[in-house]
Amino acid sequence: MRLPRLVRTTPFRLTLLFLALFAGAASAFLGYIYIATVGEAARAADAAITREADSLDSTYMSGGFSALNETVIERSSSTRGFLYLVMDDKGEPVSGNIAASPIKQVPATGKPDWASFGLTEKDQTGATVRSPARGMVERLAGGELLFVGTDVGEAQGYVVKIVNALWGAAALVIVLGLAGGVFVARDVSRNMSGLNDVINAVRLGDLGARAKVRGAGDELDELAGGLNDMLDRLERSVGGLRHAGDAIAHDLRSPLTRLRARMEAGLLDAETGRGDPLAALRQALEDADGVLRTFGAVLAIARLEAAAAAPDQSVFDPGQLAAGVAELYEPLSEEKGLDFAAELASGLSLRGNREFVAQAIANLLDNAVKYTPEGGAVMLRARRTAAGDVELSVTDTGPGVPEADRERVVDRFVRLENSRNAPGAGLGLSLVAAVARAHGGRLELDEGPGIVDGKGPGLRAALVLPAA
Amino acid sequence: MRLLVVEDDVEAAEAMARCLGEEGHECVVASDGDAGFRAAEKGKFDVMVVDRMLPKLDGVSMVQMLRKEGDQTPVLFLSALGEISHRVEGLQAGGDDYLVKPYAIAELVARVAALARRRETGSVQTLLRVGELEMDLIGREVRRGGKEIDLQPREFQLLEFLMRHAGQSVTRTMLLERVWEYHFDPQTNVIDVHISRLRSKIDKGFERPMLQTVRGAGYRLDA
Repeated sequence: MRLPRLVRTTPFRLTLLFLALFAGAASAFLGYIYIATVGEAARAADAAITREADSLDSTYMSGGFSALNETVIERSSSTRGFLYLVMDDKGEPVSGNIAASPIKQVPATGKPDWASFGLTEKDQTGATVRSPARGMVERLAGGELLFVGTDVGEAQGYVVKIVNALWGAAALVIVLGLAGGVFVARDVSRNMSGLNDVINAVRLGDLGARAKVRGAGDELDELAGGLNDMLDRLERSVGGLRHAGDAIAHDLRSPLTRLRARMEAGLLDAETGRGDPLAALRQALEDADGVLRTFGAVLAIARLEAAAAAPDQSVFDPGQLAAGVAELYEPLSEEKGLDFAAELASGLSLRGNREFVAQAIANLLDNAVKYTPEGGAVMLRARRTAAGDVELSVTDTGPGVPEADRERVVDRFVRLENSRNAPGAGLGLSLVAAVARAHGGRLELDEGPGIVDGKGPGLRAALVLPAA
Repeated sequence: MRLLVVEDDVEAAEAMARCLGEEGHECVVASDGDAGFRAAEKGKFDVMVVDRMLPKLDGVSMVQMLRKEGDQTPVLFLSALGEISHRVEGLQAGGDDYLVKPYAIAELVARVAALARRRETGSVQTLLRVGELEMDLIGREVRRGGKEIDLQPREFQLLEFLMRHAGQSVTRTMLLERVWEYHFDPQTNVIDVHISRLRSKIDKGFERPMLQTVRGAGYRLDA
C-alpha cells in the first residue's frame, strides 16, 4: 500500500519523529513529577505512620492492651489525621476510628504489612469522596493487631490534576503538530516542486531552465542557487563543445576540401602522365597533417573548457618551466633576427598542469616570434604581481592587436586580416585563454612598448595565474 | 624484425603492417587483446605495437599480464587518450613508449625502430661512437675526427639522442619528447632551428655531412 504523497514527504516524517520525541519527553517529565511528588508524599506518610505506630507500640509495651485502647480512643477523636484500628488476635475490631482494617492480610509478629488503598469518606456536602491512603498493620507482642494509616490524597490529587492537564496539552500539541507538519510539508513540497520542474525540464533537454531563488536565504535557496550554478556551467560547457564542433566543421572544411582537390589533381596527373603526382601526394600528406594538428588543438581547448579544472595538477616552479620553453624558442627568434630576452623571477610556485602551462608559454612565444618583424625584440617575463599572482608574460615589438580586436582574437579561429598569411590555425591564444581559465586565472592583452622607430606598438600577452 | 600489432581497427592495422613491411619488418596482426595475448605467448617478437582500447581484453591489462609472466618485449602503446595521466598509466603498466592517435606512419616506424634498438644496447655506455664522431658521456666532450666540438648542454643531449639512434630516423616529436620532455605540438617547427645549429657545429668544415634530414619523417645521423 502506498501512503498518500503528503505523508511520504520528508517534512511530514520529521514532524512525526518530533511528535514521537515530544511524547517520549513528556512521559519522562510526567514520570519524574510523579516520583518527585506522589512518591515523596507516600514516603513522608510512611515515616509519619511508622512514628505513630512506634509511639502506640511503646504505650502498649508500658501499659498493656488497655492502655493502648485508651490512647487510640483518645487520639481517634483528636485532629492528628491518622486512622487507627486496634483488633484482637482474631482480627475483630476493638477500638479506633475506622470500622474495618483496609489490609485484610494478617502479618506475622514483628514485621508490619504496608498497603496503599482507597479511602471512602463523606465530605461536608454529604457526597462520597474516594481518596488515596497509606497504612500498615502489625501484630503486637500479645498477638493483637494494630492498624495505623493516613490519607495521602491531598498531594496526589494535585498531581493528578497536573498530569491530566499535561495529557490535555499533549493532545493539543499532537493535533497542532500534525497540522503544522502538513502545512510545512505542503510548503516545502511546493518549493521543491519548482526545483523538480527545473530538473525535469533539463532532463527533457532544456538546458536553459533555471530554478527561482526566492531570496529567503535558506537552504532551499542555496540548493536552487547551486542547481543554477551547475546548470550555468553545464550550459557553458555544452555550448563550448557545440561551438567547438561548429568551429571544427568550419575550419576543417576548407583544408579538407583543399586536400581532396589536391588528391583529385594528383590522380588526374597520374592518369594523363602529366605533372608530378608524387608532389601532389606529398602536399596532400602535409595538408592532412595540418588538419590533424588543428583537430588536436581544438580538442585540447574543448577538453580544458569542459573540465572544471585542469587535469593532472602538480606544484612546480613556473620560472624554471618558462626557462625551458625560452630555451626551446631562443634559436628560432635569433634566426629571425629578433632580440630575445628572458627575465624570470626565482622562487615562484604554481599549482597546475605543467604541460598545459608550458604549451601556453610556447604559444605566446610562438605568436611573438611569428608576428614581430626582423630587428624587433621579444621579452619573456615571469614574476609575482602585487596581488600575489604569478604572471607569465611575453612582450613583443610587432604590430600588436588594436584594442577593439583584443577580446576577439582570443576566440577560436579568429585571425586578424594582416596575419592571414602566417602559418597557424588561429588557435594559439584560444588555448592560452583556456589554460588560464582552467587554472582559475586570466589572459591579459595590452599594448607593448609603443611605437619606436616606426615599429610597434607591440603586444604584451600575460598569463596571470593564482600562486600555489 | 618480427613485430606484433594488436589493433582492432582492421584497416589501420593493415596499413600499419604494410608500411612496416616496406621497412623490412615482419608483422603479425591480432585484432583483440585476447588474441594479442595468445599470439605474444606463442612467438618471440622484437617489438609489440598495442592499441590501448581493445575488445575482450584492453591493451593495458594485456601488457600487464605479459609483464607478470616475465615477457620483456618492448611495447609501444597507441591511444586516442593523450593526457599525461593516460600516458603515465600506459608506461606504468609496462609500456615503453606511447603514441597518441592520430599519428603519422613515419612516426610509428621511427619509434618501433628506436624501441628495437633500445633492446639491443642494454649495457651502460660511457663512450658513444658513430663514424668519426665520438661522445664522452662522463667528460661531456664531443670530437669529430679528433677535433673538439663545443656544444651547449641541450645540443649535447640532442646529439646524444641522435647518436644512440644512429642510422635510424628520429622524428621531431620524438626529439621534443625525449630531449625536451614536452608532449605538446609547437605551432612552429622549433626543433628544426636547434638541429640546424647542431648541424653547423658537427658538419661545418667537414666534407661529408652526418646529420641528414629525412623527408616526411625527421632526421637521421649517419656514420
